[in-house]
Amino acid sequence: MQNQNIVSTGGVYKGRTGMWLYLFHRITGVALFGYLLLHIISTALILAGPEIYEGAEAIYKNFYFRLGEVGLMAAVLAHAINGLRIITVDLWSKGSDYQKSLNIVALLIFIGIFVPTTYQMITSYFDICIEKSSAGTTIVDCMVRPLPDWKSK
Amino acid sequence: MKNTTRTDWGRRQPPVSSSNFELYAWFFMRVSGLFLVLLAAGHMFIMHVFNDTLNLDYEFVAARWDTPYWRTFDWLLLALSILHGTNGLRIVMHDNISNKLYRQIALYGLYFISSAFFVLGTYVLIAFVREV
Repeated sequence: MQNQNIVSTGGVYKGRTGMWLYLFHRITGVALFGYLLLHIISTALILAGPEIYEGAEAIYKNFYFRLGEVGLMAAVLAHAINGLRIITVDLWSKGSDYQKSLNIVALLIFIGIFVPTTYQMITSYFDICIEKSSAGTTIVDCMVRPLPDWKSK
Repeated sequence: MKNTTRTDWGRRQPPVSSSNFELYAWFFMRVSGLFLVLLAAGHMFIMHVFNDTLNLDYEFVAARWDTPYWRTFDWLLLALSILHGTNGLRIVMHDNISNKLYRQIALYGLYFISSAFFVLGTYVLIAFVREV
């Protein structure tokens, strides 16, 4: 029991990538749980009928919320892919031998899914905004106004 | 350098329990995580990529919930995400709140809020009847 003689120096564990991924997983997890509760409330408003539900949804349809949705997508994808990496390290007998490679693989998978997804979410926003808004609306108009000027559908 | 006789690295030692609860909780996080990759990522792609949330309205949700399959999908997503998130936050609170009283208050608050939102979400999924 050699390690039992080691006296704590009050130092802090300085892990490297794994420590940051551990912290990242906790932060995204707590943030996603908070978002989940808000999402349950906003969806529950559907019981109050179409006017109230769509009135609440309209708040989420400006461009700033679209950026928030991209951030939400990033958090979900990152938490999911990092979770798969953790499962692989835990349950694959050689997982810990390849943990550095698995970090890189997880990052590449994240980038490979997140980049095209973000492109789709941003371009789709401007396409629909310009299509549904009054004539002469520009991309800048779509970005800066707090509420869209179209009725949903 | 702190002059201490502690022989560990300053970590809080988890209480030795005769139950296997923590083992099952650890395993549950892996299993529910695998399902949530399909359910939550699937939900995100359906709502934000294959459709656009700009087109989200009462009719869109009502049409989805006309089929019991999507209600079941949404209820599984609700139940697993709340359980997975609650267990995650329970561990975060155990690790980061050292005062026992504050930790207990936070944990009971978490359990209360999680239960309430699970009941609310389940009620919405069962009780929703389209008006138009």
